[in-house]
Amino acid sequence: MDKPNKNQPVSRRTFFGDTLRTLSALGLGSLVGFGARKATSEELVWQLDPDKCVQCGQCATECVLDPSAVKCVHAFDVCGYCKLCGGYFKPDAKSLDTAAENQLCPTGALIRKFVEDPYYEYTIDESLCIGCAKCVKGCGAFGNGSLHLQVRHDCCVNCNECSIAKACPSNAFQRVPASKPYLYRGVQRKDFYPEK
Amino acid sequence: MEQNKTSQELDRRNFIVRGGQRIAAFVLGLIGASLLPGQKQRALATSTPQTQPKRKVENPWEYDLESLKKIDPALITYEEIESIPAEQEKVTALALDDSGTLYIGGDKGVRVITDKTSKRWVQLPQAPACLAIDTNGDIFVGLKDMIVVYDKKGTKKTEFHSMGESSYLTSIAIGIDDVFVADAGNRVVWRMNKAGALLGQLGEKDERRHIPGLVIPSPYCDVALDQNGLLWVVNTGRHAFEQYKPDGTLVKRWEKTSVKIDGFSGCCNPTHMAILPDGAFVTAEKGLERIKIHETDGTFRTVVAAPSQFKEGTVGLDLAVNKQGRIFVLDPSQKTARVFEKK
Repeated sequence: MDKPNKNQPVSRRTFFGDTLRTLSALGLGSLVGFGARKATSEELVWQLDPDKCVQCGQCATECVLDPSAVKCVHAFDVCGYCKLCGGYFKPDAKSLDTAAENQLCPTGALIRKFVEDPYYEYTIDESLCIGCAKCVKGCGAFGNGSLHLQVRHDCCVNCNECSIAKACPSNAFQRVPASKPYLYRGVQRKDFYPEK
Repeated sequence: MEQNKTSQELDRRNFIVRGGQRIAAFVLGLIGASLLPGQKQRALATSTPQTQPKRKVENPWEYDLESLKKIDPALITYEEIESIPAEQEKVTALALDDSGTLYIGGDKGVRVITDKTSKRWVQLPQAPACLAIDTNGDIFVGLKDMIVVYDKKGTKKTEFHSMGESSYLTSIAIGIDDVFVADAGNRVVWRMNKAGALLGQLGEKDERRHIPGLVIPSPYCDVALDQNGLLWVVNTGRHAFEQYKPDGTLVKRWEKTSVKIDGFSGCCNPTHMAILPDGAFVTAEKGLERIKIHETDGTFRTVVAAPSQFKEGTVGLDLAVNKQGRIFVLDPSQKTARVFEKK
């Protein structure tokens, strides 16, 4: 029986047939690989790292939403419950009370409540907060840094290209898994990110 | 002819080669798909556009802290005359003994500096939180929750009991018989004898004895004994100085809350203090990093060093004063002991 000749010229029909089948296999492989990859990758959302934040005020001005989806949040376990809160009072406050002229927050979003002498609790009215970070700067400079900014995911529309992230001078914005959407300070952060 | 072609297509070699080619193409497709940038990589690429210049936008809500850091030069009556390297990566505590020998605690232990040519080390298991030197040269080292005593050669003499898990020791003052230890974690000052036996505690809230109680929001609470053997405690959360008898009786107190030069601001200031030979207080603050002097009754006297003389964010400016009234400031940012003298 004659052995087939290896150097036998390939006919045009065979060549096109082979090429087509090879390309089909390549396409099918790509499709399966892409599908598998998409199925296993987790959804990501925007968040800002409070340790990188420089309180530039652009979270308030650059967000596509008005007011911004970035809000001040409070790590109560880090707070000193100070009578003279650097995040609440203007430096030239006439008295340490809740009069509007003494407050640093431009929208009055920080709420001060007496606990017991000399402790005061500070909470944030997120409906008023515009994410300007004025209180964050004051708290960080004079206190323990318990007030910090976070993207609130009940507000954020999760743009593909976050306009605040683009403008952020300290590159504090990053994508985080939707299952762990916050980079809080204090105990809450340890719960979410034990490695930190 | 037709039959020949069919037999050629069904040939085993051709079948294996062509099948292999298809499988190779399929695998190549899989690899290609996996190499495509995923959502995370795309997100990282857009979240770290470090190569793109950022446009500078004015902050309409700017909180100008710089104006608070400016001090009238006429108020600064001290000048820096020397900067002594701590020769350690992390410095945490500073003390002087009666002869003027300087002790700097840090990650390598305690650096003992008598003069430029005489330096030695006392090795410690960990960086001390606070230091004090007894008149006989014994070195009292405050770790997080206990005191360890070394003789002047650096040999361990004794170790006091742990003050508990929540303890965070911040300062030691040594009297003739007593040792007072500030514990920011438990918000008290422990009174012990030199063997470590607990004799009592000071500073706890007691309305009957008119003691307001220590408010310590962060781990800073300094203590020092004055010339009369009375203990001064800095109640940082109240921006107050409180004088106690060794039995815990509150003798007197003053407090001054203000971001202006005559007071103290923030959650917890002053973080450190030392007593000058004339009884006035040298104070160090965080937030607005500055060294000042206040009279015994709290009246502002002068500025030793302005915020501009420290790196922004510096904390832990431990203080010591020698018999000549020179002020030694531990600067953890510069890793030095800076010496200030009256102009």
